[in-house]
Amino acid sequence: MSVNEKFSAIRKGLLEFLVLQIIAAEKVYVADILKQLSATEFATQEGTLYPLLSKMRREGLLDYEWKESEAGPPRKYYELTAKGREQLRETLEYWGKINGTVKNLGQK
Amino acid sequence: MNKVITINLDGNAYQLEEGGYDALRAYLEIAAARLSGNPDRDEIISDIERAIAEKFRTLLASHKTVVVTKEVADVLAEMGPIEADPDTAADPGASGTGAPSGASRSGTAGQEQAAGPGGPPRRLYRIHEGAMIAGVCNGIAAHMNIDPTLVRLAFVLLTIFWGSGLLVYVVMAIVVPEANSPEEKAAASGIPSTAQEFIRRAKEGYYEAVKGFPDRKARREWKRRFKREMRANADQWRYNWHSYWAEHAPFHPGMGFAVPFLSLLHGAATVLWICALISLLATGTVFGLVLPANVPVWVAALLLLIAYGIVVGPLKFARRACYWGMGQPRWVCSSVFLLDTMVWVAVVAALLWLAAHYSPELRDAIHSIPALAHQAADDIRTWWHGK
Repeated sequence: MSVNEKFSAIRKGLLEFLVLQIIAAEKVYVADILKQLSATEFATQEGTLYPLLSKMRREGLLDYEWKESEAGPPRKYYELTAKGREQLRETLEYWGKINGTVKNLGQK
Repeated sequence: MNKVITINLDGNAYQLEEGGYDALRAYLEIAAARLSGNPDRDEIISDIERAIAEKFRTLLASHKTVVVTKEVADVLAEMGPIEADPDTAADPGASGTGAPSGASRSGTAGQEQAAGPGGPPRRLYRIHEGAMIAGVCNGIAAHMNIDPTLVRLAFVLLTIFWGSGLLVYVVMAIVVPEANSPEEKAAASGIPSTAQEFIRRAKEGYYEAVKGFPDRKARREWKRRFKREMRANADQWRYNWHSYWAEHAPFHPGMGFAVPFLSLLHGAATVLWICALISLLATGTVFGLVLPANVPVWVAALLLLIAYGIVVGPLKFARRACYWGMGQPRWVCSSVFLLDTMVWVAVVAALLWLAAHYSPELRDAIHSIPALAHQAADDIRTWWHGK
C-alpha cells in the first residue's frame, strides 16, 4: 500500500479543517475553494464538497449568502460563524500539538 | 444524428444529447439515493444542479446550443461522485425531518412522497407564475394541493354572494409574501425545485407507479400531485420562455400603447362573464337564453368559465407580449403595468355600474349583497358559538 493510499482517510478527515481555513480568509464560493485545493494533495470535487459544506452549516460552523455574479445566476458565498472560528482556533492548536508529537517522538 | 432532450436545471433550459441525458439522470439518481436520510438532501441536490448548470453554460455559445454526451460525461467526472457524510448515512432515523431512506430506495418513491414527510416544508406564498392577479389563489391552490381554478371560483362566488371574497383577496395580497427564490417556490407547493424529482417521475412512469398503489386514496393523491407537478413544469417552461423573450425582444416603445386597448377588451370580457354568471345563478338564464331542462346550473357555470378562458387567454397573452416587448427599462414596464391595472379596474367598475344601472336583476343581486353578508356573518357567529 502506497503512502498516498494509507493517508486517504486522514486527508478526508483533514478536509473539513482546510475548508474552515480557506473560508476564514475571505468569503468564497465553491469554485474558489476547489481552485485553492486543486494545487494541493487535498484536491477534491463538488460531489464531496457540497455535502461537506452542508454538514458544516448544519453544525453551525459556517453560513452562506447569495451574491450576484457578473455572469450568470447568483452564487452562494460561504463565511465562518463565531462557532466556526472557535473551532478553527482549537483545531489549529491541536494540529500544532500533533505536529510536535510527530517531530519529537522517538527522538533522543 | 443524435436525439436531443431538453432539461430544466436551476430554472434554465439546457439541451443534452440523449446519452448525456441518461448519464446525468443516473448521476442525480445515485446522488439522491446516497443522500437519502440527509436533512439537507434537496438543498445539496439543487447546489449540485446549479454547479452542473454553470459548467454547461461555459460550454455553450451562440453557435453551439447542445451539450454533447462526451461533454456531459466530462462535467460529471469533474463533479465527482456524491459522498454522503457519515453522520447521516449511518443513522438515517436520527434526523428530525426523517426522510425514510428505505422507502425512497424501494422504487415506490412516489408513495413515500405522497405520505408527506419526504417533501420540503410547506408554507403559504403567493405564486406569480401563471397567476391572474396577485397570485393569491395560485398560492392557496398549491398549498392545499387543489386546482387553482377551483380556488378562483370560490373567491368569485364568495364575492358575489357574500361580498367578502374581494376583501379577503386584497388583504391576502398584501399580507402573504410572494415566492421569489427557488427555495420559497419549493416551499409554496411542497415540490422540491430540482430536476431530480422530475427525472424520477419520468423514469418510473406515471402508470407504472399508479398500478402499484394499494388503495384508492393513495392513488388519487398521487395522481393529483402528478398533474400539479406537470403543470408546475409547464409554468416553469413559460417563465423561462418569458425571460428569454425579455432578453431578446427588440425595443418597441409603441407596444406600450396597445396595452390599454387590450386591457379594455379584457375588462369588457370579464364584466360580460360576471354578468352572465350572476344572471345564470339568479334567474337560470344567460342573457335571456334559457338553459335546456336537462343541463344543471353548475354545468352551465362551468361552460361559462371555459368560454371566458377561451376569450381571455389570447388577450392575456397579447398583453404580456406587449409588456415584454417594451424593452428593458424596468420602471417603464412597471408603470405601464400599474396604469394598465388601473384602467382594467376602472373599466370593470364602470361597466359593472352601467350594467347594474340598466339591468334590474343585476341591481337586485348587488343590492342583496349586504343582506347576504349579514346573514353569512350571523351564520358564522352561531356556528362559532355552537362549537
